[in-house]
Amino acid sequence: MTILRPTFLRLRAMSLRILPGHAWGKVRALGPTAQGLGLVLAVLAVVGPVLPVAIFVLLILFMIYATWAYSINLITGMTGYVSFGHVVFVGTGGYALGYGVKVWNIAPFAGVALGGVLGAVLALVIGVVTLRLRGAYFAIATLVTPLAAFYIVSGTPALGDGSGLPMNLGFQIGSQYYTIWALLAAEVALTWWVTRGRLGLGIRALREDEDAARAVGISVSRVKLILYILSGGFAGAAGAVFAWYVSGVFPDSFNLLFSLTMLAMIIIGGMGTVLGPMLGAVIVLIPHQILIRILPQGEPIAIGVSVILIALFLPGGIVGTIRQYVPDARRYFE
Amino acid sequence: MAEVGTVVASLVYGVLLGFVFAAIAHGLNLIWGVTKVVNAAHGEFIMLGAYGAYFLNLAWGLDPLLASVVDAGLGLAVGVVFYFAFLYRELRGKDEIGLQSELVTLVATFGLSLVLVNVGIIAWKGDPRGLRYNPGNIVLGGLSVPLGGVYVGLASLGIIAISHVFLSRTYLGNAIRAYSQDIAAAKLMGVNPTSVAAIATGIGFAMTMAGGAFLTVYLRAGITPFVGLTYAPISFVIVVLGGRGKMWGSLVGGVTIGVLLDVLQVFVPVEIAYAAAFLVVIPVLALAPEGILR
Repeated sequence: MTILRPTFLRLRAMSLRILPGHAWGKVRALGPTAQGLGLVLAVLAVVGPVLPVAIFVLLILFMIYATWAYSINLITGMTGYVSFGHVVFVGTGGYALGYGVKVWNIAPFAGVALGGVLGAVLALVIGVVTLRLRGAYFAIATLVTPLAAFYIVSGTPALGDGSGLPMNLGFQIGSQYYTIWALLAAEVALTWWVTRGRLGLGIRALREDEDAARAVGISVSRVKLILYILSGGFAGAAGAVFAWYVSGVFPDSFNLLFSLTMLAMIIIGGMGTVLGPMLGAVIVLIPHQILIRILPQGEPIAIGVSVILIALFLPGGIVGTIRQYVPDARRYFE
Repeated sequence: MAEVGTVVASLVYGVLLGFVFAAIAHGLNLIWGVTKVVNAAHGEFIMLGAYGAYFLNLAWGLDPLLASVVDAGLGLAVGVVFYFAFLYRELRGKDEIGLQSELVTLVATFGLSLVLVNVGIIAWKGDPRGLRYNPGNIVLGGLSVPLGGVYVGLASLGIIAISHVFLSRTYLGNAIRAYSQDIAAAKLMGVNPTSVAAIATGIGFAMTMAGGAFLTVYLRAGITPFVGLTYAPISFVIVVLGGRGKMWGSLVGGVTIGVLLDVLQVFVPVEIAYAAAFLVVIPVLALAPEGILR
């Protein structure tokens, strides 16, 4: 620590010279969590292209997963409404890109935008009907949507029946990398922003006791719906990037196991936190890349066991548990 | 336009399938209705019941009807263990089961479902396995109905009838219903909340796994570790349709979904029929959240 400190100070002095004084003050006011996440994102943006291709490609996948984790965090983490069927937005975004690219010949960027818009619209349609339901009823109502979507796309000739829409877009990893980076950065910033101030307090009140929150004048329905629409939009856009990444979209994009992975990431990381989804994405994805070659089922079993133990014994996930037991660390784990 | 005969045949098949669906959903309904929390791993216990029937058939040539008895016995034990492992910590000492408990158990049992699916893949591979059971057909007024379907349909009906008698005529059954209506009042009447909830969960699991054995007759594509991912949502839809905690609701919901699936297939592609059977839950939840039964 004593050795590290002068270096750290010198780095800070350097950054003081780079940024004008008042800007540095603003960055410092963000707090350590936002600074840390901002630093991670900045490093990702700068060092990405110089990394070996294998790692670069893996980072794209990581950022797709992280975007999904932040997306489900916006609704399930923030409000406690378990969205079991979140994969419906992923599949919808993927099919939007696949259809747009194949039939209308649009650029993949436009496909990603289309995926995001369709995801948000679908979330609006589902949310208007189902967000009035609480607890398990909401979980069930959202659970059936990807199953229905799976059967609908499997039976629609324009969407390739059961065989999906394979695409031939070439090797565009650079564009994919910065598209998903931008999405992730926007989503992290949004997540950070909605946990602050009046809105953040309102959301926290809504999660603890919805009736009480309504009684003190928080427009509960509107907050839930807006969060759900944003969540669906980001999941759809990231789903489109995923379809671009794997050069195709198939009915299996609506596989429920995907939903479960998304949910596992925020449960492990810590629901409703700013840092949790990022930690969860790292913890879920890194072993995945190692274990997939040795024992493909080992990882989901490990995830399942961790989810059970965390749900029963440490319901706050990693971030929530640290906040609970180490009050001094709260500044660093938001 | 489809012939009337085809529609009638689908109606008969749909009702028989609906009975089996009802038996499977009945287990979920009982647990959900009594403990007020949902078992998200419900489908995986259907899957275990189906594999139980498959292995009993392979080893001793038992038909699904006999296998269901063994499955039910296993289910009773597994259910009690499940209660103490997953629900007890969250439910003990509480007179009101709040949303927080619902969330915790939903998430924990969802973890269990992830574990069980993948253990199933390791143990039995992903390839579908068929079960040899074909007692022939019966001709009813020019309509040939497979006897296997008739037997399991009637057995499912029997299970639901027995559970109804049990819940309304026995002391333990009354205690379970009392607990499901008002935990505090049930405790004051001398009901031990833990043992009543544990037994109800065990009975729910027994019905779920027996239903899984019955379902093998209808799994023409074979049993895979993934069957739970289709039939759990169907069970959820059925319970919501019939109304949580209403014991005849499972039957009404099951037959509705069975008939919907089979009759729609006469008019639209099979995929659309399945999509409709899943989506029907959303208008029901929006318009009649307590189910279609009064």
